[in-house]
Amino acid sequence: MINKRIFLFIIIFIGLFVSGCNMKGTTKDPYQIVYQSEVIAEQNRSNIHADYTIAVVPKVVNIPYFNAVEKGVKEAGKDLDVRVIFEGPNIADSKQQIKIIQNLLDKEKLDVLALSANDPEALLPVLKKAREAGVKVITWDSDTVPEGRDFFVNMVNPEILGRHLMDTLAWNTEEKGDFAIMTGSRNASNLNEWLYWIQKQYEDFYPNMNLVAIKETNDDPHTAYIRAKELIATYPNLKGIIGNSSVGPPAAAEAVNELGKKGEIAVVGLSSPNPMNEYLKKDIAQIITLWSPKKLGYLTVSLSKNLADGNDPYDEQQIPGVGIIRMQNDMVIMGQPIDFTKENVDQYDF
Amino acid sequence: MIFNRLRNSRLMSKLMITYFLLTVIPISVLGFVAYNQYTKSIEKQVGEYIPKLLEQANININNQLNEYRSLPDSLYNANQVIEVLRKDSYQNNSNLFRDEFLVNNYLSKMYMNSGNNDILGVFILSKNRLFTSSKADYSGFQLENFPSTYGENLDLQGRTEFILPNQSDLAFQGDPPFILMMRELRDYENQETLGTIFVAIRLTFIEQAMESLYEDQKPTIWLTNEEGVIIYHTKRDRIGTLDPRFRNYPKINGSFRTTDFNDNQLISTNKFPNMNWYSYHRIALEDLMKETNQVRNGTILVFLIFVILSSVISVILAWNVSHPLQKLARLMKRVEKGDFKVDLPINKKDEIGLLAKSFNSMIQEIEHLIKMNYQIELRQKDAELYALQSQINPHFMYNTLETIGYAVEEEEKEIVSRMVALLGRMLRYSLNNKEKVVPLKQELGHIEDYLTIQQFRFEDRIDFQIKDIVGNDSYYVPKFILQPIVENAIKYGLEANYKVRIKVMIEEGKNNKLIIKIEDNGPGIKEADLSQLNLSFKSNPMIRRDENFGLINVHARIALIYGENYGLEVESVIGKGTTVMIRLPADESERGGEK
Repeated sequence: MINKRIFLFIIIFIGLFVSGCNMKGTTKDPYQIVYQSEVIAEQNRSNIHADYTIAVVPKVVNIPYFNAVEKGVKEAGKDLDVRVIFEGPNIADSKQQIKIIQNLLDKEKLDVLALSANDPEALLPVLKKAREAGVKVITWDSDTVPEGRDFFVNMVNPEILGRHLMDTLAWNTEEKGDFAIMTGSRNASNLNEWLYWIQKQYEDFYPNMNLVAIKETNDDPHTAYIRAKELIATYPNLKGIIGNSSVGPPAAAEAVNELGKKGEIAVVGLSSPNPMNEYLKKDIAQIITLWSPKKLGYLTVSLSKNLADGNDPYDEQQIPGVGIIRMQNDMVIMGQPIDFTKENVDQYDF
Repeated sequence: MIFNRLRNSRLMSKLMITYFLLTVIPISVLGFVAYNQYTKSIEKQVGEYIPKLLEQANININNQLNEYRSLPDSLYNANQVIEVLRKDSYQNNSNLFRDEFLVNNYLSKMYMNSGNNDILGVFILSKNRLFTSSKADYSGFQLENFPSTYGENLDLQGRTEFILPNQSDLAFQGDPPFILMMRELRDYENQETLGTIFVAIRLTFIEQAMESLYEDQKPTIWLTNEEGVIIYHTKRDRIGTLDPRFRNYPKINGSFRTTDFNDNQLISTNKFPNMNWYSYHRIALEDLMKETNQVRNGTILVFLIFVILSSVISVILAWNVSHPLQKLARLMKRVEKGDFKVDLPINKKDEIGLLAKSFNSMIQEIEHLIKMNYQIELRQKDAELYALQSQINPHFMYNTLETIGYAVEEEEKEIVSRMVALLGRMLRYSLNNKEKVVPLKQELGHIEDYLTIQQFRFEDRIDFQIKDIVGNDSYYVPKFILQPIVENAIKYGLEANYKVRIKVMIEEGKNNKLIIKIEDNGPGIKEADLSQLNLSFKSNPMIRRDENFGLINVHARIALIYGENYGLEVESVIGKGTTVMIRLPADESERGGEK
C-alpha cells in the first residue's frame, strides 16, 4: 500500500522531469532563434525601374563623331532599360539647340537633359526653364557656365589634351616651321579651352615653330574643306595643321591630298578614326587623337540614369561598360585621349 | 484523500516522504533550473558573438572578392592584348597562334607568376578563341563546350558572376575546390563585347577568412548562395551540393538552435554585404557545453551519492524512532495479556530512551502494586482463618462450653445466657468476612466479648479494662488486630502468674495518629527476643514466619494497608509485663487506607 504510493510519487516526479525535457522536443518550429541582430529582407531582384526618359542633345548631328556618340547612347539606353532621345541641330548653332530643347520640353516628359552646348551662356534661359519643369540638366562634351547644369561630363582633361595635340604636331614637323589651327565654333567652351592649352604648349616649348592662323569651321565639313584650302594657299610655308574639332582633320587631309602636299604638310588633331582611316594609311594624316565618342554617349546616359535615381557621380566610380571615372569638382572626366595611327586605326570602329 | 492516507500511514513512511519532499525534490528542481538557465546564457553568449565573427569574416571575404573582381581590369592596360581581342578574323593559322601565344603569355605573367596565389587559372573566351593560363592541369574547359555550357554571348551588363563548383565541368588536377569568376570583357572605346574572362579562384581565401572561427571546438562552417548551393564547406565533398535545410533556416543575421530531443546544434548565420551569399557556422551544443556538462555530471553524481547517503541516514533515523515504538507496542500487548516479565532494553538518553525507561519503571511499579495487593489479601485471609480457628478452636469451644456447663449445674442462669450470647456474637463477628476494616467500636466490642468469656472461665484470675479515651465512633481499623495480642497476653500471663491484668487503651497520637495500647502484667520478653521481634516487624512484611505469627501478621497487615509508618511496637520489662502499641492512622474511611 505504502510502497505503491511511494512508487506513484516517484513516477510523478520522473514524469515532471521528462516532461521538462520534452517541452523543448515538442515545439513545432524546428529552429529556435537564440539571437538575432536583424532579419534579412528577401531581396527583390526585379529592379524598381521607372521609365526614365533621357534626352541627349549634341552640338550638331550627322557628323561621324556625334553619330558615334549616338550609338553609345542607344546602346546604354538598351542596357540600362531607359528611353533615350538623341536630337540635335543640323548646324552647330545655339539658337537651333534652344529650339530643339524647347521642343523637347513641350513634347516629352523628360527626366534628364544631357547637352553638349554650342554656347556656354546663350542656352541658360532654356536650361533654367527645363530645371524649373523638374528636368535635371547635365552637360557633356561641351560645357555651359556652372549655373546651367548639375555637372559636366568631360571626355579628357583639357590641359592634357591641348598640350598633347601640340606635341603630336611637333613630332611630325621636327619642332619647326609654320602651322595653323582649325577650330569649330569660337563660342564652344571646350574648343576654346583646348585651343588655349595648344597655344600655351607652343609658347612654352616650341620657339622654332610659328602659329600663322586660327580658322573657324563651324563644325561644317564643307566650310572646313574650304578653310583648309585657303590656309594652304595663303601660307605656302605651312608645315602642319592641327584640327581642334572633329571635322578639321578630314577636311585638312582632303585638301592636302588634293593639292599634292602629302608629306609636306602634317595633319594632326581631333577626329574619329573611321573618317581618317584612309588618310592615316596613305600617310596624309599622321596622328589623330580622340576618345571614344561611343563611350562618351554611354557614360552620359549611365550618369543621367544614376542622377534620375538620385545618385551623383563620385571620384573613381566604376561605371559598368565604361570603367573607372574621375571627378574634378563638378566635372566628370571619362579617361585619357587615344592616339590613332595607321597601325592601330583598324581596331576602332567609330 | 491523499492527506488522509498520508496521515494514517506509518511514521516511517511519513518521515521518508517528508524527507523526499524537503530535500530531494527542491534540490533536483533547483539544479535543473540552474543548469537550464546556465546553458541558455551560454547559448545566448555564443549565439551573439559568432555572428559577429561571421560578419567580420564575410567582410573579409567580400573584400577579397572585390579584389578578384578588379583582376580583369589590368587587361585594359595591356594594349597588345586588347588589340588581339578586338580582332575577329585571321588570314592564317600562324597569326592566330601568334596572338594566342601573346595573350597566354600575358595572362601567365599577369596572373600566374605574380599576384595572388589563389588563382588557379584564367580563361578568356573571345570570338571563338580560347586563351588560357593555369597553374595545374585542368579538364572540362574546352572551346567545344561553348556556347552550350556558358554561352558565349553572355549579357552580363558589366556585372561579375560567380560560377559555383558544381556548375561547371572544369576540374583541376588534385581537385582543389574553387569558384569560377566570370566577367564580360568590354571594349569601352568601341562599346563592344570583347569576350568573357573566367578566373578560377581557390577557396583557400574563404578558409583563411574563417580561420578565427576555428578554435578548440570543431565547428562546421559553410557558405551558400541564395539557392542554398554550398560554395564552401568544412567537408570538401559537400562543396557544390545543395544544403537541403537551407529553405527552412530562419532568414536572420544571428543564431538559432535546433529543437530536437537531443544532439541539438547551435547555428549562426550572416548574410554577405551586397551579395546573396550566406555564411553558416554550426556547432553541437554538446561541444559547447562540454565543460558545463562535466560539471553537471559531477554534480549529478555527487547529488545521487548525497541522496543515497542521506536516504540511508534518514531510513536509519526513522527506523530508530519507529522500531522502538513498534517494540513498545508489542511489549504492551504482552503486558495487556498479563505478562509482566518484559523489559525494553534501550539505553539511550534521548526521548526514546526516556520513554523506554518510564515504561520499564511503570511495568515494575504495576507488578509491585499487584504483588502488594496480593499480599494484603493473603494476610487478610490468614487473619480471618486465624480468627476463625481461634473461635472454632476446639479448646476454646470446649472450655467455654464446659464453663457454661458448670454454670448450668450451679443454676446460674444469668451467666449462662450471657455467655451463650457473647459466644454467639463472637462467632457472628468472625463469620462476617466481607469488610477488611471495621469500626473501632466493633473491634473493641469483639475483644471485650472474648475477655468476658475468658473471665467467666478463669473468674478472678483475669482482670481486664478497656479504656476508650478518644470515644470517637467514626474510626475504622483492620479486623482482628486485637485478638492475637490479647490471646498472647492471657496465654503467657496465666503460665507465669496467678492473676492476669490486661488493659486496652485507645489514645490519639500526634500527626493524626491513633494508638491502641495493650498492657499486661505477664512475664515479659527477654531483651534479645524483644529486639528480634521488633526487627522482624521492620523487615519484609511479605515473609511469613511461624514464630510469633500472630503479632507479625497483625503488623504486616497494618503496614501493607497504611504504610511502613504504621504497625506494632513491643515494649517489655522481664517480670513486670509487656506493652504492645498498635499505631494506626486516624482513619475515618470504611475502606481502610485504599483511596
